Amino acid sequence: MNFHPVSDASHHPVRNWIVVALLLAAATTCGFLLDRYVSLTSQAMIYVLAVVIAAYKLDWIESAICAVGAVTALNFFFVPPRWTFEVENQEHFIGLGTMLVVALVISRLATGVRRESEIARLNENRARQLQALASDLSNITVSEEVLVLGQRALDAAFVGPCSLILTQDGRKLEHADGLATAVQDGLRCCMAEAAVLGPGTGRWPGLDAWYLPLGDKGHVTGAVCVESAFANDASGLEHAKALCALLAQALWRLRLTSSMLSAQSEAQRQQLQSTFLAAISHDLRTPLAAIVGAASALQTQRDKLSLSEQERLLGSIVSEASYLSTVTENTLQLMSLTSSAQQLRRDWESLEEIVGAVLARVRQRDPDRRIKSTVPEDLPLVKADPVLLAQLIGNLLDNALKYSDGAIDLTLNLEGQAIVVSVEDRGPGIPEAEQEAIFEPYSRSDQSGQRGAGLGLALCRAIAQAHGGQLKLRPRTGGGSVFDFTVPVDVQQPGKELA
Amino acid sequence: MTLRVLVVEDDREIRALIQSSLSVEGFEVQTAVSMSEASALLRHDPPDVIVLDLGLPDGDGVQLVHEVRKHNAVPIIVVSARHQETQKILLLDAGADDYLTKPFSVGELLARIRVSLRHRGTSLAAAVTVHELDDLRIDLASHVVKRNSEVLHLTPTEFKLLARLVRSAGRVVTHRQLLTDVWGPEFTEHTHYLRLYMAQLRAKIERDPAEPRHLLTETGVGYRLAVA
Repeated sequence: MNFHPVSDASHHPVRNWIVVALLLAAATTCGFLLDRYVSLTSQAMIYVLAVVIAAYKLDWIESAICAVGAVTALNFFFVPPRWTFEVENQEHFIGLGTMLVVALVISRLATGVRRESEIARLNENRARQLQALASDLSNITVSEEVLVLGQRALDAAFVGPCSLILTQDGRKLEHADGLATAVQDGLRCCMAEAAVLGPGTGRWPGLDAWYLPLGDKGHVTGAVCVESAFANDASGLEHAKALCALLAQALWRLRLTSSMLSAQSEAQRQQLQSTFLAAISHDLRTPLAAIVGAASALQTQRDKLSLSEQERLLGSIVSEASYLSTVTENTLQLMSLTSSAQQLRRDWESLEEIVGAVLARVRQRDPDRRIKSTVPEDLPLVKADPVLLAQLIGNLLDNALKYSDGAIDLTLNLEGQAIVVSVEDRGPGIPEAEQEAIFEPYSRSDQSGQRGAGLGLALCRAIAQAHGGQLKLRPRTGGGSVFDFTVPVDVQQPGKELA
Repeated sequence: MTLRVLVVEDDREIRALIQSSLSVEGFEVQTAVSMSEASALLRHDPPDVIVLDLGLPDGDGVQLVHEVRKHNAVPIIVVSARHQETQKILLLDAGADDYLTKPFSVGELLARIRVSLRHRGTSLAAAVTVHELDDLRIDLASHVVKRNSEVLHLTPTEFKLLARLVRSAGRVVTHRQLLTDVWGPEFTEHTHYLRLYMAQLRAKIERDPAEPRHLLTETGVGYRLAVA
């Protein structure tokens, strides 16, 4: 597709003259071939035909010359006396004169029509290009794509060369190293003025290139330089402006979107932080108070306390402190998981192994061995962060130990393309209205003062989701709760092609 | 002879706590608050055990481990927070002997020190060849593994893996170390080999493979053969 405003014809003057000569020669040959059968009028008509063809295909001067040539040739070859430029009959004079005028008029008309249709086609192409560019730009997400699309559109629309440069602050050009200093200066100047420069614009008409800013004053996102520009090509300038307006719009939209996103994530982050603060202040204060109380009692009243009393206080310090450490661990982990800065350290892991390691740790708080684990043989491996999975399962078991008295069942099952880790207790259960809320970071509804898992379950769910899995709560038949952690299994298991 | 421990820890409270707990147990305790102080002390008078805290203000500890390992085999126990997994593994691979995750109890620290001292100088002394705990008996020299006096049949790779753990019994051996020593240095990324072979070994050795007594998992770090 050719958008360029100048037609191909004018690029080949020599070829055009050859076409004129060939047309005249063909008309003359036809005239001679038909000489015996037709009158002079018909021969004249053949020449008129040649002139019309020339007028339609070629420029004005060439078609005019063709008309003069046609009259001359008719006179020379066919008007009696033949083979001379003399004209015998007055009637033939009038005929020749009329033919010359007709040829010139037709040529003039045809050239006009052709130019108009050319302009119409050019405008149509330009409109189509604008439309295509607009629809292409509506789908892009990064400014580099605008650069590529814009450059391609400019190259297609103008003889050029064209340059498209973006800017962040309205002054500094990005990736402009390959450009001539004059072009860079022009771009910078048009961005500073936020106005179009160059021939036909009224500003800096002495230049041989148009410089167009992308965007309005104060919102300039880049600039375009179209070289080989002419003052009389007003429609070309309009087209360049239209293209630049589209590009500027797209760039501005991208900028708005990104600033909106960052504002959104900032708001989310702040909300999360305030939730964390609330969580921390509650979950840390209570155990700290217990520790300080017990420790200061030991410090000041040790002599009055019985040995068993001292033992109890020491035990409470240790258990409160270890609770504090769990809360801190969970908080830090949840923060780093939700801030998305942390990459999961995934590897091929065996859930049986992770469960074994968790149990070894949790058993210290489970002297009566209330937890019963059931792990089927030959479970597939999962691609996971083992430390996080261990933290998830450990939190679920800790909660079950804390909130229930009876036996706790830890079961692993392969269900389709996923492994389900279920922790079932016989605790009081969780009211249906709160079954989702307990997974929110610190929205524990009971104000009874009982210490909760705080961020524990929120962290568990975040870990599950980070692994493409799920953590769900359902009531257990016969009383109690069941937490189901589902972790997807890769269909492609690692090979066992071992030495 | 009194055993000497160098504690490298920048937090005053923890340093004081470790110092007093170890002194009570009869160790002679030196302390350093930074890497540079630690290397100065080491050059001057090397201790019998080093307890090294991660996250000191003036370095990540890897350099210190390399420096120590150039001269001698003094056991190094790394103390780290849970989120310092990567750094901890780096230090273990660089030659540190074991690690403890904060918060730890004094009992755990003493147990780790005891294990590491037992291994002290294994490069010179005769290597540990027999391992016994509860119902399990492993004799590396005669290639015999017994559970309740019943001989277990292990594949060559299973035995190699078990033997590597026996030689570091009680200490953590990182995934990388195991893969390098059993399969070869080009297999360090193939952790799934370990998962599969450990599962096989546990199935043969453990009474309850899902809750192992002998072959313990150090989640995200490596494995440890229990000694007590």
